[in-house]
This record gives sequence, structure tokens and C-alpha cells, in this order.
Amino acid sequence: MRSTAALVVGGGVAGMQAALDIAGQGYKVYLVEKSPSIGGRMAALDKTFPTLDCSACILTPRLSEVSRHPNIELLTYSEVKNVTGEVGDFKVEVLRKARYVHEDRCSGCGDCARECPIEVPNEFDEYLGFRKAIYVMFPQSTPNVYTIDKNSCIQCKRCQRVCERGAIDFEMQDETVELSVGVIILSTGYKLFDVRKYPRLGYGRYRNVITAMEFERLINAAGPTQGHLIRLSDGTVPKNIGFIQCVGARDIKKGVPNCSRVCCMYGIKNAVMAREHDAEANVTIYYADIRAFGKGFEEFYEMARTRFGVSFMKGRVGEIEEDPVTKNLRFEVENTLTGQMQNVEHDLVVLCPGLQPAEDLDQLAAMLGLRTSSDGYVETMDCLASPLETDNPGILVCGCVDGPKDIPDSVTAGSAAAMRATILLSGGGK
Amino acid sequence: MTENETPRIGVFVCHCGHNIAGTVDVVRVAKEAEKFPNVVFSTDEMFMCADSGQELIRTKIKEHDLTRIIVASCSPRMHEPTFRRVVEEGGLNRYVFEQVNLREHVSWCHMHEPEAATEKAIDLVRMAVARAAKLEPLPIKRVKVIPRTLVVGGGIAGLRASLDIADRGFEVVLVEKQDKLGGNVIKWTHMFPSDRTGTEVVEPLIERVESHSNIKVYKSSRVIDFEGYIGNFEVTIESQGRKKNETVEVGAVIVATGFEAFKPKGYYGYGESPDIVTLDELQAMPRQDLLLRPSDGKPAKKIAFIGCVGSREPGKKGHEHCSRYCCSAVAKAAADLRDRVDEALVLYQDVRTYGRGHEDIHRLARQKRVIFSKFEPDEKPEVTVTDGKIKMRWRDVLADDQLAFEPDLLILASAMIPPSDVEETATMFSLTRSGDGFFNPEHIKLAPLTTHTAGIMIAGVAQAAKNASESVIDASGAAAKAASLLARGEVEIESTVSRVDPDLCSSCHTCVAACPYGAISMDDSDPPIAVVTEAKCHGCGTCAAGCPSGAITMFHSTDEQILSMVEALLVPSPISGGE
Repeated sequence: MRSTAALVVGGGVAGMQAALDIAGQGYKVYLVEKSPSIGGRMAALDKTFPTLDCSACILTPRLSEVSRHPNIELLTYSEVKNVTGEVGDFKVEVLRKARYVHEDRCSGCGDCARECPIEVPNEFDEYLGFRKAIYVMFPQSTPNVYTIDKNSCIQCKRCQRVCERGAIDFEMQDETVELSVGVIILSTGYKLFDVRKYPRLGYGRYRNVITAMEFERLINAAGPTQGHLIRLSDGTVPKNIGFIQCVGARDIKKGVPNCSRVCCMYGIKNAVMAREHDAEANVTIYYADIRAFGKGFEEFYEMARTRFGVSFMKGRVGEIEEDPVTKNLRFEVENTLTGQMQNVEHDLVVLCPGLQPAEDLDQLAAMLGLRTSSDGYVETMDCLASPLETDNPGILVCGCVDGPKDIPDSVTAGSAAAMRATILLSGGGK
Repeated sequence: MTENETPRIGVFVCHCGHNIAGTVDVVRVAKEAEKFPNVVFSTDEMFMCADSGQELIRTKIKEHDLTRIIVASCSPRMHEPTFRRVVEEGGLNRYVFEQVNLREHVSWCHMHEPEAATEKAIDLVRMAVARAAKLEPLPIKRVKVIPRTLVVGGGIAGLRASLDIADRGFEVVLVEKQDKLGGNVIKWTHMFPSDRTGTEVVEPLIERVESHSNIKVYKSSRVIDFEGYIGNFEVTIESQGRKKNETVEVGAVIVATGFEAFKPKGYYGYGESPDIVTLDELQAMPRQDLLLRPSDGKPAKKIAFIGCVGSREPGKKGHEHCSRYCCSAVAKAAADLRDRVDEALVLYQDVRTYGRGHEDIHRLARQKRVIFSKFEPDEKPEVTVTDGKIKMRWRDVLADDQLAFEPDLLILASAMIPPSDVEETATMFSLTRSGDGFFNPEHIKLAPLTTHTAGIMIAGVAQAAKNASESVIDASGAAAKAASLLARGEVEIESTVSRVDPDLCSSCHTCVAACPYGAISMDDSDPPIAVVTEAKCHGCGTCAAGCPSGAITMFHSTDEQILSMVEALLVPSPISGGE
């Protein structure tokens, strides 16, 4: 039985684009996302380079577009468990985890969360803020439906009592559904390098050494501090911030041989945002090379230096030490342009980690019989002739599945994967 | 709603998280709006664009029988389509929706004056309420899409896009100005990261394109006239050696016009010696066991590369961008050529080998003892040519040493810049260009392949400097956009067009000359009257502004609608509740 439906695995910006461009041609698309909402990494970002567009502002219409599209069926809070068959006729087992909230009855009003007595650290805010045991990931969550986190809920059922729509159901069970699809597109995104693997940088030991993603949530209006950038040690406003680039990128010894493509630019963008939040703050970026290669990137880098007053120092940072009293951070850095060793002090240090393949990409690849490279990304057939096709016919990749990419490159790959998928679905290209 | 019914206006003021509510007192704005004429409902809401905000509009339309909707939130550029759709879902015509920009126009630019910002927000909402009362529903028009695509440019991106659309089952017309397909890539001898030549990469594509039953190729040809609108364009193609021009109808266009390698006159002695060549010229040299000098055909033993030639020059128009491909291309060429020469040197500003496998190319070059030396942007290497000998002097930043080198062959990695006829292409297809000289996408992050001209896509280096594998992915992506359009078979067109009142037209031709889209012509009556071709009209309003007789009405921006806003600002009506 040939199927003309497509499966897209991963509902970030690349997967959403792939789904929209397939659905736009009239084919049915199943979009499977393991978290409770589509949106992916972009939903958690504050601004985007090189235009400083607010990430939520440009992403939100996309979320609505996907959720509204008559040809797209969203399966959020779901995971692909098994795939059999071949191009034109794949059978896919999808586990639909119980939300304990009926999607069709919940209106996203939030009465339940206001009532819920349990607060747990919020993963969406990099654990800096709190959420309730019944929650939405972020204000624009799509579908706009609450989810009960069974691990932290105490079954007090107060939420159930206040829900006027009777949407909450503690008896809900996980379900497995089987889908028939003709093609599969993987768009499972990336994980950020674990900066703890560089103990000398002090992350986890010093409160004022944070990751770029934590910084992103701290400056975000919907984040744990309503957008106020503060030091985690004492809540004061940092006045002298250091950004350290290439933490877990271009380092063969750590298994990340390649450049992560986005860190230079997100580092510069965050440095600019730090100056925007506080024009008095000193902001320095410690880098290996500045790789501002995309459209408008170099111009943005230039603007960061000249107009926004961000300082740049080419150099490798040594061991970071904390002043036990002020909780400031000191380290030695060799300024490679002058050859001089310098001792510097910052009251906040932001580590900019590189990208790595998503957590379970290796299992997914093994299940689908795909080759992965030494750094864990999926190998595609040929970077020029078939850059998105894998060795397994009918299975394509986009976004960061085959290597790190920024937003426009991920979106472009999403559209391109959609094109190649629809050629297969239409039975063309023979 | 009929002409004489009183409008029932609903106002929704958005917090946009902290973005607006952090500066503007949105609760007060919503409260004030309740008092404006014809307003029967007003509220504030955390995120109007989120599903919950959308649902709120739909619910309140029914609950209060609203006939006009105002959302006071962010720039209409992003969300106007969203809210127009919501209003339609609520059972109203999309043109009875009005958006007020409280974010870009108020909270973001008056961040430090919350009081004044709130006052301004109230004024803007008052103006919108006055305008909303004058808004009229407009008809929604759909047109058929001709299932054929024009692809402009037969380089690697144009070839890929043509094949994808043709394989998907739609017809393609491919127009290439050169006498052969293959563009820049076909000349290249050192593709990266693979080891193939450009010919090996492009030839299979060309063979498939030329033999594909859905593709018609026009070589040595140009588009000399382009008219129409999304789904229905008329293309006139002029071909060398053909007496007659051909006219083809297409539904979508992909512009894949690529780049030209910058000829860096005035940089590093370029033009003073045949042995100073651009990377592009090196790539075009035939592949032989030895690398031969152009000047005397003797084997080159010492070669040098200089990066960022005509790229990354702040303040120099068209040369401020990074050309993206050259760092990896230079590393690849240097690694490849290293085996045929005694010494190879690369001078660079930064090493930007960002792609997967590109670091490996760089490492390979270093392992092969290619020397990499960094120079500062404001201390460019000096190159002199005396008696045919090339001498280079520069300061190596990392060693802080003055160095010198006398290469037999100097290769300049020159910038990717648009082809010389880019402005003609821009005018032909109504495209705008960004600072790098390449075409502007519709949105730099989320819509990199479409443009502000509906139905026209850009792919590959037409959009920005990039390498061949990136161009190929672009091409498939742009093809998807075209295929979506063709597969749908019909598309909506703009209703906000202009109309000429024949009784007032004085036949002066001002509007005909003013219209940038050629949408207005004179009819054959006596005296002739100006007539607007609605499908070509983009609703820019230039004609209405220029008409000395006041004969032109711009739908959705009528004089009455605009003047009511001015009046509401200058002479606020006495406060009166809606009900």
C-alpha cells in the first residue's frame, strides 16, 4: 500500500518549515514532536542575529500556521518508537505520552496552573525559574494545551476541580499509534555541548559563570527575571561581562572537531543585547576566530564593534577563579594579537557552547539504518548531488541533523527536504 | 454590515509579554479605548498573536456582534496576515481589521518615557478607532496559477531548481544568458569538501536538464520583458540567433542569477603582472601535473594566497560582506596544489572554515605544511611588481614579525559580487537589493527564499555569497516554494487596489507615468480615461497621491479613512461610550 503522507520528526523551525512546504503542496503531514509544544530551540531564544528580531515575534505566526494547516496533523508529546518498511510504504509506531489533559477540551486558560501548589525548576528557563506541575512550556505554546508532569505532581487534583472544561484526566494512559507514510524527514535539532566538560571554566562551581542559553532566558521578557539581567550569586546587575567563545567546538579531544557555525554570531548578539540592557556595562568577547559568514553577519559584527561598543579579544582563556567575597571571576588570557598575557576580572562570565547532535539521534539513526559520522551527525549521500538524502531511500534530513546550522540555513534545508520528499511522494524523478 | 449601520468596534490591546506592557500602561489604554466613539468592547491581553489571543477575538466577535476589529500590538508587517485570517474565521471581511503598532512605534522607541508613551498609545488607538469606523469590506479575489516556472540562470542553483520542479511534474522554462549551462561551478577545478571538479559535479545535472521532457532550455538568451502578477506572468525571451522573440506564460519565477568574481583592480598589484590572478582565474586554469605560471609557462614553485580581497571592507559599498566560500576554497586549493609546489603560503584575516568537514580541509593544508599567516585588516600586505618579480611584505600578527615572500604566482581570493547586470534583473522582477548587492529575501531568518514580489523566489548566490552545496539546498528550497504555488492551482490577489473615477479624470497621464508597476493605461474613449489593471496594481498609492484631479480612490486608504485619523488626533470627539 503506497502512502502519500509524510512524517516529519521534530517540530523546531526546520521541521515546521518542511511540514508546511509539504502540506502546501496538498500532501498529508504528521509532525511528531517529543516535547509538549512545537517551536524547538527558537522558542527559547530572546533575539535573533543579525537583525535583532525578537525570536518569539517571528516564530509565533509560524506556530499558528502549522497548527492551523488542514494537512498537518500535530503529534506533540510523542516519540517515534519503531519504523519498518521502505520508501513509499513505511509503517511508523508513535508513542503518544499521556498529558493527563485532553487536548480537545483544554482551552489553555491557565486556571489549573494558578491553582497548582507545586513548583519545580523550569527546564524551559534552563532551570533558573519555576513552573507548576501542570504547565505550558512558554506563553505561545502550540497546541495551547496544558500538560501534567507526573513526576512532580502530588495527585492533589486541585487543578481538576478548578478546570471548568473537565479537561484534566488523571486516568489517561500512554497510547501507541501506527502511521503509514511514504517519506520520513528527520529534523531533531541539536543539543548544546555540556560546558562542565571544561572544569577549568568553573561552570557549576561558580554562580556567576553561566551558559549562553541561561543568558538568553535571563534577558527574555518571558523568562525567570522578566528580562532583567542579574547575577545569580546576589541579584545585582552585572557591569562587566565576559563572553567566552568556542566552548566545545573545534576541539578534536572533546569529540567536536567542527565549528558550530552559530556561536560567534549568537555570542555577538548576546553581547550587543547586554549593552542594550545596560549602556554602562563593559562587554568583552574572547574568541578564536570570528566567523561572521552569513548574509548581514559581517556587517552586524562590525556594528557590534563600532556602534554598540562591544570589545573583542582574540585569545584563549585559562583557568577561571572566583573571588570568594565579591563572587567576581578572574582569569588569565593570552591576547594572541599582542602576544601579552593579561589578567582580567568580570562580574559575569557567559560560556558560549558549541552544538552537538540531539540526545537520541544515535538511537534514531540506528533504528533507521543511517550512517553517522565520528561526531555523531547523520551522513548524507553527497553534499552536492543529494545533500539531504540519507543512504536509506525515502529518509531525508534537515536542520541540524546532518550538522550545525543557523536559523535561515535550517529553514532553507527544511524547504529543500520538503521538495525532495514531494518528488518521491508524487512518484516523479524516475 | 450595510452602509448606514453604526459600526461596532472591538479593541484588543496586547502586552507582548514585557515588550509593550513594560513601557506602555496597556490596561489604561484599553480602558480609555472603551470611551471612544462606536467602541463596544475593549480589553488587554498577554499575547494577541498566540492561539489564546486569536481565540479571544473570535469569541468576542460573536459575543458582542463586533463589525470592526482593532488589535493594538506590534508592527503589521509580521502579524497583519495572522489577524486578518482570525477576523475572517470570526465571520468578518479581513479588511475591517485595523492594526495599531504600539511596539515598534511606541514602547521600543520611547522606552524611557512610560507616561508619554502611554499617551501616544492612546492617541494612536483613538485614530485607529476613527479609521475603523470608515473601513469597508473589500472583495477577495482569486486567480488561477499557470503550472509552469521560469528559472533565470543556468548555474548549479538554476539547474537543481529546474530539475526538482520538473521531477515533481511541472513544466520549467530555463533561461541562461551564456551559450552553455553550468555557471561558475563548471569552471572550478578544486571543489570542496569532495575531490571532484566542477565539471564532474555539474555535467550530470546538465545532461538531465537538457534531456528532461518537462524542461525547455533557452541558451544565449535573456528575459527582455516581464509582466503580470503571481500565478500569471508573461515572459518575453530574446535569444541570440533567433529572429523572433518568444513569449511564455508562467505561474512562478526562480531567480538564480549567481555571481561574478570581483576583478580586484587596485588591490595587491592585480593587473600589474599576469602571475597575479584571482582564485576564480586559478580555478579556470587547466589541471596539469605542474602548476604553470601564466607569464612564461614555467612551473610555479612558490605560491601565495591572500584572503578577503574586496570582502569585509567596512564602509565600502558592496564590499562590506564576508564572501563566505573563500576561506574553505583557499584551504582546499592550497592543500591540493601543495604537492606540486615547493612552498605555499596563505595570508588571512580570520579563518572561517565553518562548514562540516571544512576544518578537516584546513587541517590537511596545515599537515601538508601550507603556511598560514594572519594579517590585521588595517595593515594589508604590500605587493610590488618589479621586472616581473612579485614581492610581498606584511606583518604577521601572531608572531609580531615583519615577513617577506617572493611568490611565482599570487592568488587573490576575491569577493563574490553580483553579476554586472544585476540592476537590470532587479528592475525586471521588481526585486530590492541589500548592502551586499544581492537580492533581499522576504525575511532574512524565516523566509530566505521568497521575495517581497509574490511568486518570485531567489536561490543560491542571487540571495547572498555562499558555496555550491549551500546553493544547491537553496535551489531545492526555492523549488518547493514554486511547487507549492503550482500545486495549489489558484492564489489570492491584492484587493487594496486603486480605481479611477471616469467623471473626474482629466486625461493628464500623471498616474500612467507615476505607476511603478505599469498597471495604469489610457482607454480609447475620447478624451481617454485612465484605467487600472487590478491584477498588476500593488496598492502603493503613488497614482492617487499624484492625481491632480482627485480622481483616484485607493481602496483601504481612502481620503476619508486617512483624514478621519488626522481629525481624531487633532480634534478628539467628545467622549462617548459605544453603548
